[in-house]
Amino acid sequence: MTIIILVAASDGLRGHLTRWMIEASAGVFVGNPSRRIRDRLWELLAARIGDGQAILVEPARNEQGWAVRTAGRNRWQPVDFDGLVLSARPKNN
Amino acid sequence: MADIWWKADPHDLHRLTDRVSSVYVERSHLDRDENAVVIINKRQTVRVPAAMVAVMLLGPGTRTTHAAIRLLADSGTTVCWVGEQGVRMYAAGLGPSRGAGLLHRQAWLVTRPKERLAVARAMYSMRFPGEDVSALTMQQLRGREGTRVRKQYHHHAERTGVPWNGRVYVAGDAHAAGDDLNRLLSAANAALYGICHAVITGLGASPGLGFVHTGKATSFVLDIADLYKAEYTIPLAFDLTAQGLTEERDARLGLRDLITRDKLLTRIVTDVKNLLTPEGAEFEDSEANLLWDEQVGAVSGGTNYADSADLSVYGIGDNHIAVIGPDLDETGPTS
Repeated sequence: MTIIILVAASDGLRGHLTRWMIEASAGVFVGNPSRRIRDRLWELLAARIGDGQAILVEPARNEQGWAVRTAGRNRWQPVDFDGLVLSARPKNN
Repeated sequence: MADIWWKADPHDLHRLTDRVSSVYVERSHLDRDENAVVIINKRQTVRVPAAMVAVMLLGPGTRTTHAAIRLLADSGTTVCWVGEQGVRMYAAGLGPSRGAGLLHRQAWLVTRPKERLAVARAMYSMRFPGEDVSALTMQQLRGREGTRVRKQYHHHAERTGVPWNGRVYVAGDAHAAGDDLNRLLSAANAALYGICHAVITGLGASPGLGFVHTGKATSFVLDIADLYKAEYTIPLAFDLTAQGLTEERDARLGLRDLITRDKLLTRIVTDVKNLLTPEGAEFEDSEANLLWDEQVGAVSGGTNYADSADLSVYGIGDNHIAVIGPDLDETGPTS
């Protein structure tokens, strides 16, 4: 299962994503897109998110069982602690 | 020119087998809103993950806009209009497939009696596992099939205790006659047709070029659907009637559960491909814009061949005939 969260994204971008996934709540998308389609959707989101933020959580073959991708401005960064991915907040958040 | 960034590339689309089989909508307005396909009725607005769905079945009372259809086509979703009680009326759509390889192959098979008979036989042999049908004529095959279906009806009538008084069916109006069982059978078959239609158009084959059925624009759909009726819609209709579930909706839901349980979509895709393609042949489903040429096969399209250095390479040398209209009077009409 893949989850995508869009913050401050344009309505058009959110609408576009609903063709592939189900918007469970404002800006929260759930679905089972294949790896190839995840990559392609992410490419599009990262290019068009502008000042908003996009977070994609997907299944992965690691100890945690999932991986995260982020794009946009002022975003929280995934930080790798020897294989465990934690989230680093920006200073004023 | 507006920037149409929302247009999906074939690589953005899920293969048919990875999709949910069907979504049925009635008495709603289908539109496009903020790049999403939306279903609107008095109570609520729902967005359809079109790229995850193989076929949208639009029932009575749906209104749809040009923009919605454009998005559905772009998502590779087949759109199927169905009438009262799920009888399919019309279906169209550009599936996720964008190449014409399979269509060429189908046309080639259907126009050659020997090859066509071989495909028809293969269809029948799928229904008679373990029997050798290779020497039977079409007439004998039809007879066998009739007997098999009749046996099915009686077998399931015995199994469920629902009386079977024969298939009552008025061509063109499936629900004009017959009991609950007949109505359910018609409704379940209609849903099955919709799904088969979606697979056929989705793979880029033609619904009209049938092998056993002929003459209807959906002949090939009927051919393919017939492969599964004995396994799916016939037992389902009897089971539902026995349980007192006699709404057409029950037939649709029941069929959908079975499709999910058995991964039937995948099987239909495999069957259609196997029937149309010889062992191991893979068709490139790439969208190639080519122009046919009787000597070299194909030349690339999107090119103006007027300035082609040597047209005689393509055999147009001295033999081509130019048809030129009368000289126009430069001064224009005088009277």
